Amino acid sequence: MNRGHFSTWVLVGFCLYLLLPLYWLFSMAIRDNADIVGGFELIPAHPTLANFAEIFSNPVWYQAFGNSLTYVVINTFVSLLVAIPAAYTFSRFRFLGDRQLFFWLLTNRMAPPAVFLLPFFQLYSAIGLFDTPLAVALAHCLFTVPLSVWILEGFFSAVPRALDEMARLDGHSFGYFFLRIFLPINRGAIGVTLFFCFMFSWVELLLARTLSGSDAKPVVVVMTRTVSASGIDWGVLAAAGVLTVLPGIVVVWFVRKHLVKGFALGRVT
Amino acid sequence: MGVTLLKPYTNRAWLGVLPVVLIVAFSAVVPLMTVVNYSVQDILDFNSRFYVGLQWYQQTLNDPRFVDAFVRQLGFSTAVLVVEVPLGIVVAKGIPRAGKGLLTPLLLVFLAVPLLVPWNVVGTIWQMYARPDIGLLGVLLNNWGLEYNYAANPLDAWLTLLAMDVWHWTSLVALLAFAGLSSIPPQYYQAAELDGANRWQVFRYVELPRLRGVLVIAVLLRLMDSFMIYTEPFVLTGGGPGNTTTFLSQYLATMAVGQFDLGPAAAFSVIYFLFILLFCWLFYTSVMATDGER
Amino acid sequence: MARISLDQVCFHYPDTSTNVLDKLSLQVEDGEAHALLGASGAGKSTLLNILSGLLVPTAGRVLFNGRDVSQQRGRARKVAQVFQFPVLYESMSVHHNLAFPLRNLGLPRAEIAARIGDLTHSLGIESILTSTPSRLSLFEKQLVAVAKALIRPDVSVILLDEPLTAVEPRIKWRLRQVLRKAQADSGVTMIYVTHDQTEALTFADRVSVLTEQGILQTDTPQNIYDSPRHEFVGHFVGSPGMNFVPAQILGLGAQQTLGFRPEWATLCNPPAAMSGRVERVRAQGTAKDGPLGIMRVQTACGEVNIRGTITHQVGDEVGVQVQRYLLFEDQVQVGGGDFA
Repeated sequence: MNRGHFSTWVLVGFCLYLLLPLYWLFSMAIRDNADIVGGFELIPAHPTLANFAEIFSNPVWYQAFGNSLTYVVINTFVSLLVAIPAAYTFSRFRFLGDRQLFFWLLTNRMAPPAVFLLPFFQLYSAIGLFDTPLAVALAHCLFTVPLSVWILEGFFSAVPRALDEMARLDGHSFGYFFLRIFLPINRGAIGVTLFFCFMFSWVELLLARTLSGSDAKPVVVVMTRTVSASGIDWGVLAAAGVLTVLPGIVVVWFVRKHLVKGFALGRVT
Repeated sequence: MGVTLLKPYTNRAWLGVLPVVLIVAFSAVVPLMTVVNYSVQDILDFNSRFYVGLQWYQQTLNDPRFVDAFVRQLGFSTAVLVVEVPLGIVVAKGIPRAGKGLLTPLLLVFLAVPLLVPWNVVGTIWQMYARPDIGLLGVLLNNWGLEYNYAANPLDAWLTLLAMDVWHWTSLVALLAFAGLSSIPPQYYQAAELDGANRWQVFRYVELPRLRGVLVIAVLLRLMDSFMIYTEPFVLTGGGPGNTTTFLSQYLATMAVGQFDLGPAAAFSVIYFLFILLFCWLFYTSVMATDGER
Repeated sequence: MARISLDQVCFHYPDTSTNVLDKLSLQVEDGEAHALLGASGAGKSTLLNILSGLLVPTAGRVLFNGRDVSQQRGRARKVAQVFQFPVLYESMSVHHNLAFPLRNLGLPRAEIAARIGDLTHSLGIESILTSTPSRLSLFEKQLVAVAKALIRPDVSVILLDEPLTAVEPRIKWRLRQVLRKAQADSGVTMIYVTHDQTEALTFADRVSVLTEQGILQTDTPQNIYDSPRHEFVGHFVGSPGMNFVPAQILGLGAQQTLGFRPEWATLCNPPAAMSGRVERVRAQGTAKDGPLGIMRVQTACGEVNIRGTITHQVGDEVGVQVQRYLLFEDQVQVGGGDFA
């Protein structure tokens, strides 16, 4: 093909550009704080796992990780649970106000989270959910549910409706068709959706911080509060950073095959 | 377009979308109504409030700090688009398309990593990376004789924020563009070569028209997300030095949570939301309009 | 325009050792319309890609007008290609699509306009010059793709890769006619790759039948049909294909196979040297002697198809009288003759 070396060099350069900050994070995570503040080292001279040990032994840290994972899992579960039937409906039927409804769902994706800070705080305080993982999970649904409907609708519409018809003629009940035939052939789509729900909920800070007090503090919040404590423990902060990057990498590895297809539909994030 | 069967029309389908409507209404409509409600009232405390009409809206639009933040925001979003979209396309062109080996999937996964880093961790990573005392970038730049300090110099702060956003989000454009490029049949390249097209012409007339769809999405996403940016600058610069990197979300959060100015903050929110809708709508309709001409 | 030769061309893909093409030779004359006919998997695409310069032969030479171009890219060989589906620049109007290769050749503006005017007039596509491809039907798009190949003054050969595939069946013949006429008018060398024998036989001056073993025969459509060099050619070309029976049934050589076209035999009442029962009758029209069609007869040595006046019905016991035949030994034709 007529493809030059220019773009290859840009790609290599860009990968390096992505890598350097990550490398630096990792190198700080394996140095203790005195070492970091004491002097500049390209390659850590005295690597240590003390920062990770600190995180795994300090309940503030590991409970925070637990809190984060709890609301991410709840959010992903709820989003898929409501989005799958809705996406199927949008892809198979027309009904009064369908386009308007779809568009309205999408506009929620355009709402700045900052706009919702105050009303969310009041709403969840009023119904007694403030400072629970459930509050954060529900708040994130504002963004993940429209997103899931959008992505899934794209995939579901690509499945010919003849399939539904065929299953019906074969005498399968709708429930059997949907759970045993339709969902399995769309597992790639569900994987991609799961990835994006997980991703959004895992990376968000603003709402998570606003809706959690002391008990349900997620890890991203603990990290920002460590900053203001007596001096910054860069080593522990970096170690926590490394640990927050890992779940994403694991998830993306599992859905990598479907990712490009998902992106090709243009229906992401 | 082939003949597509019309989807059946039935209002029973509402049952299928009802859960979504309920959950989104709960988490969007109720809060939005609250915001609109606050935006026309003066709230001294929750028991004494007065209707003030559009006063908060006028005040917000005339607030020089709002206007400044808005201008900064526009500048930032423009810079983000100008850098990330072309860079993302070139990066995507560099990814090998032949599918067999592990190289391509590994590259894709690696490119996706910044998208999966919690936003405040992105700020933390760049803080560690760019600090002039302990950061790799900061120390190196200063060793080369550049007086670099993002916490003190507004230009440095801006460039660092931009560099961070490029680090964080260019991969999204690249992955979208890669998906678009992967869908181009090789025959198009072959035909262009036989026609004597040079590299630029191949890009301009073969690839770009085919990338249109995904690029529209990419620009929309980057436009609205950069317009909402909050967490990364909050961690990295805290809006400083001075207010030079205070963007709209940051200003709003200070107003609402920091100063508890409920009425003005609510009016600000409504204006903010409307602006984003307006930009997206303008962009989308202009794209559709050029489609109509063709 | 060019005379094109393949000289002992071999090709295998990098990570394999089996040759897709093995010592393949072919000669296409200047100004000839040549068809490469083969089933899928016969190596048609590989051969086409070698001709277009997309693949470099692992051994052997590709010659254009006697000059070795094996290592050259298609651009340097001045090849034009029409693909299975219309490949056009989607953002350009038809006019710009046609002008694009000419501009890249550096032709003056006036000449470009004149060439486009002449060609679109002869193809009857002036009315769509200002449209973009997205507004055209598949047929029109493929017509423009053909025009884009014809418009270049410098072109050495036009390669056509199953160009009728994407077009609706009922207007395929129109596009084929356009191609045939354009070839006759311009005298440009064309190589037409297809799996469809009707397309190949009606389009080309000469046809090459390609299989995994290589090119079995290169000849005029008439000779391909009347005198296949190889059993496979006889079987593959014709609808239904040639009938084959052991030659000794009719008193000929013991090691040989006898082949005859469905219209080279008639049915009679038994007894006969070859006999059987009529299995199926398919009417195909009428002539002054009565209805015409194909009668399939199950004989002791397999099914044979007979084309002509329908003289017998399903279930009849019949004899098969062969008037004209070819003889094959080890699948290769060794001669033929007539039963008086």
